[in-house]
Amino acid sequence: MYTDRLLIIFIIGAYLLSPAIIDWWSEGGRAWYRPYLIWLGLIALSYWVARSRDTDDL
Amino acid sequence: MTYSVGELILIACSYLLFLFLVAWITERGWLPARLVRHPMVYVFSLGVYASAWAIYGTVGYAYQYGYNFLSFFLGISGVFLLAPILLAPILRLTTTYQLSSLADLFAFRYRSRLAGMLTTLMMLAGMLPLLALQLKAVAESIQVLSGAENARTLAFWFCLLMVLFAILFGARHTTAREKHEGLVIAIATESLIKLLAFVGVALFGLYGVFDGPGSMGNWLEDHPEMLSRLYYPLQDGSWHSMIMAFFVSAVVMPHMFYMAFTENLNPRALITASWALPLMFLVMALCIPVILWSAAASNAPTPPDYYSLGIGMVTGGGGALLGYLAGLAGASGMLIVATLALSGMCLNHLVLPASPLHQGTNLYRNLLWTRRVLIAAILALAYLFYRMIGTEHSLVELGVLSFVATLQFVPGLIGALFWPSGNRNGLFAGMLVGFVLWLLALMIPITWPQWRFLPLMDLIGIRFQTGASQWQHVAIVSVTVNALVYAIVSIVTPMSRSERNAAEACAVDSLRRPYRWSLQAQSVEDFINALAQPLGPVTARREVDMALRDLRLDHRETRPYALRRLRDQLETNLSGLLGPSVAHQLVDDHLPYRPEEEQQSSEDIRFIESRLEQYRDRLSGLAAELDSLRRFHRQTLLELPMGVISLGADNEVIGWNLAIEALTGISAEDTIGSRLDTLPSPWGELFSRFSQQDDAHLPQHSVEVDGQSRWLSLHKSEIAASTGEQAGGQVLVIEDVTELRHMEAHLAHNERLASIGRLAAGVAHEIGNPVTAIACLTQNLDGEQDEQELQTASRQIMEQTRRITRIVESLVTFSHSGGLSQALHSPVNVRDTVAEAISLLQLDPDHRQQPFDNDCLAEHWVQGDAQRLLQVFINLLGNAADASEQQQPVRISSDRHERGIDIRVEDQGHGIPEELRDALFEPFVTSKAPGRGTGLGLALVYSIIEDHRGSILVESPIHDNHGTRFVITLPIADVHTPAQEITP
Repeated sequence: MYTDRLLIIFIIGAYLLSPAIIDWWSEGGRAWYRPYLIWLGLIALSYWVARSRDTDDL
Repeated sequence: MTYSVGELILIACSYLLFLFLVAWITERGWLPARLVRHPMVYVFSLGVYASAWAIYGTVGYAYQYGYNFLSFFLGISGVFLLAPILLAPILRLTTTYQLSSLADLFAFRYRSRLAGMLTTLMMLAGMLPLLALQLKAVAESIQVLSGAENARTLAFWFCLLMVLFAILFGARHTTAREKHEGLVIAIATESLIKLLAFVGVALFGLYGVFDGPGSMGNWLEDHPEMLSRLYYPLQDGSWHSMIMAFFVSAVVMPHMFYMAFTENLNPRALITASWALPLMFLVMALCIPVILWSAAASNAPTPPDYYSLGIGMVTGGGGALLGYLAGLAGASGMLIVATLALSGMCLNHLVLPASPLHQGTNLYRNLLWTRRVLIAAILALAYLFYRMIGTEHSLVELGVLSFVATLQFVPGLIGALFWPSGNRNGLFAGMLVGFVLWLLALMIPITWPQWRFLPLMDLIGIRFQTGASQWQHVAIVSVTVNALVYAIVSIVTPMSRSERNAAEACAVDSLRRPYRWSLQAQSVEDFINALAQPLGPVTARREVDMALRDLRLDHRETRPYALRRLRDQLETNLSGLLGPSVAHQLVDDHLPYRPEEEQQSSEDIRFIESRLEQYRDRLSGLAAELDSLRRFHRQTLLELPMGVISLGADNEVIGWNLAIEALTGISAEDTIGSRLDTLPSPWGELFSRFSQQDDAHLPQHSVEVDGQSRWLSLHKSEIAASTGEQAGGQVLVIEDVTELRHMEAHLAHNERLASIGRLAAGVAHEIGNPVTAIACLTQNLDGEQDEQELQTASRQIMEQTRRITRIVESLVTFSHSGGLSQALHSPVNVRDTVAEAISLLQLDPDHRQQPFDNDCLAEHWVQGDAQRLLQVFINLLGNAADASEQQQPVRISSDRHERGIDIRVEDQGHGIPEELRDALFEPFVTSKAPGRGTGLGLALVYSIIEDHRGSILVESPIHDNHGTRFVITLPIADVHTPAQEITP
């Protein structure tokens, strides 16, 4: 229930944001490392979630 | 700069030996457990995903398809970023049910041997290109570095080396129950080496070819076509679908499934992997453009697939060896793990179902050798595939073949986790359609370009595309058709009950609802004997012992609940050994349920509760609120100050609260799941007899516990069969009334003392007469010489003494009667007891003149305790006499009818005031003047009559506003039966 909701929000969010992200990325020019920055941001978010998550969930 | 083949093979052997040494040291326990179970070890072991395809192929991919190469890394990163949501449920399932591969999971979920078999065959076919890719990559990398001509021979020797190491690493144990810690550490080391070497190659490029990042930036400015080549593929729409393809294939690939779930040493490490694994792949992905541009800038003398080697060949300084080592590490790691995983799948789903188990003690050895042969066979197949397709295909082409093939399992997997209505027919249909599309539209056209199924290609619109470029299209079409067919067939075809149970067990956020069926096997020995037939006696005993250890159960266990758990655990353990289909079949055949029980079975409440406890943290919203409510009710029942026992329809204990634990000294843990009659004495007999009797109440029953008497009042209520599968049962409530009983005894004692006090004057008078007589007789004896007279006087004195003794004895008996000693119920003659009460009462000077008419019939006998009934009559007659005027007789009569004997005590007194009538039998209620009565007498009478399972009624007034009648009904005694303890 809870997890499904999170997944749906993530998928819809990714779908809605992806054109903007791809546009920003493909206009990078010499800043070819732009996708890596987004990626790094996601990793940081995931790290923060993992830190605050109750690991008893597993 | 070139190397000799010998040098490169020596490096490969040394590297593999080093890895084996790492594994060996780990298995000897020389590495600290903290290190072995460290989450980062798990993270690095998952780096097995980056095979030779990642080291070599993705550079070629980036060269050909620009930024699309990122989808390979972003796909798996996405999966792990969502690990707590997507992967944790799979990990839970694989750990709980000992499922070691996707085929195991499908066979378990869809309750079908065929599902496991199909998955294995398709996985094998789908993985062959990726396995061949590894052989090809290593052989060609040696060829590139050494200039050797025959890559096929190199691939053959590398393949042989892999057979040896795969067996050494993973086929020394048989069952998935034992984790291969050595393998995990070796693969983690392999990933670390691969990562360092790959970063090393990129640094060689960055600082060997360019002079650092700034220099590379300048070069890119001078070569804008390199950047636009990178960006170009972003414009077409295939980017999303590629990420999705890599996203899902990352989970279903056998080597990833194996490392992520089967070899998981620490479930919490999955949380660490959710950020650390994407970080590791980010670093690798960052190296790829650098390697690509460095190779382009330095005109590396290799095809784009091998730019990682080419840079080092240009710059020298061992850079090429680093690239070689990275490729070797990636290829060998993937080959070992994938082969082990595939061999397990083949063993469980192809070999074992096809060949019946041979009885004997060497089951484990047979399994081990079969697995080794399978490892060799799978690698031989990969080599044959490599030989068959020739050398002209790029790594990219081979890689995508496998990725699209593994996509065909995705609808089935998503269904298994999130859609309990998906069934095996849907799975078969979907997977077969998807697989055939893959085969006809991708596999055959790429491997054998001369065979093309043009009508099909027209249909799905890939007529004019060639090679790997059509793969995106085929991937989308095949997986969409697969998912549609799966969904439609699942909806229109029926689903079996066992499949539905398994579906619920697998579904995320749902609980398995097991049924309380009785097993034919009634003891642990029965289990061993039943399993000895297929497994052999030694293996059967070992497996049963292991399952008992896992459940922390004893060999003497006979509780139905525990035996059901033992059966489940055995199936789980055997599933780790033989695969879920064979294990399920074996357990179903040899440890069956009783067929007649199936219809009246009910849900295993206890098991559901224990599951709910485990799932507690994952409940949210309405489910969490319902769970709180459940907890509240459960806690209420648990903390109830009365003992509560819930019973199933088959008399199995399913609830046992704290009060009953304290009362019986038996913990819920030991009781729940037992049949009621198997409880220790005296409880088993008492409770089961009570649960079967017609009467719903058993008041004040005496039980001997640890040498002390306890009084219990038992009550029961039937739980009606509600809707659904619940088959009803009973709830027993046990009230410990020992304290009340003690208090009553105390009150009774006080009452007796009060009576004795009142009688004291009469006693003195009664004793005074014989004493005076004795005194006179003694005086007369003084001068008496006549022998005859002396004898007469002495006899008279003796008579008077006996009279005194009788009075004293009856008083002493009265004052001591009715204690808490075990009461004996025996036939009591009503008339005699009433007469004794009258004679005692007449000791009281107030009652001496009171006429009592004892009209009770001498043939009326009641069952009871004579002393306590005497107390009843003393109290009632005393009250009647107190209420009566002088010379008004008190009449006592008896009457027999079907239900018992009525004893009537009637007086002609002033009657009972109306305001006291309703509370007459409550303590301290009296109509007497202060100081004349304690108010305890009638309360005591009521309590004694209740104990005798009798009744007491009062009528007042009976004639013209005066007179009172008490009617006591007592059970009739069979005067021929001996005295017996109180029984219901």
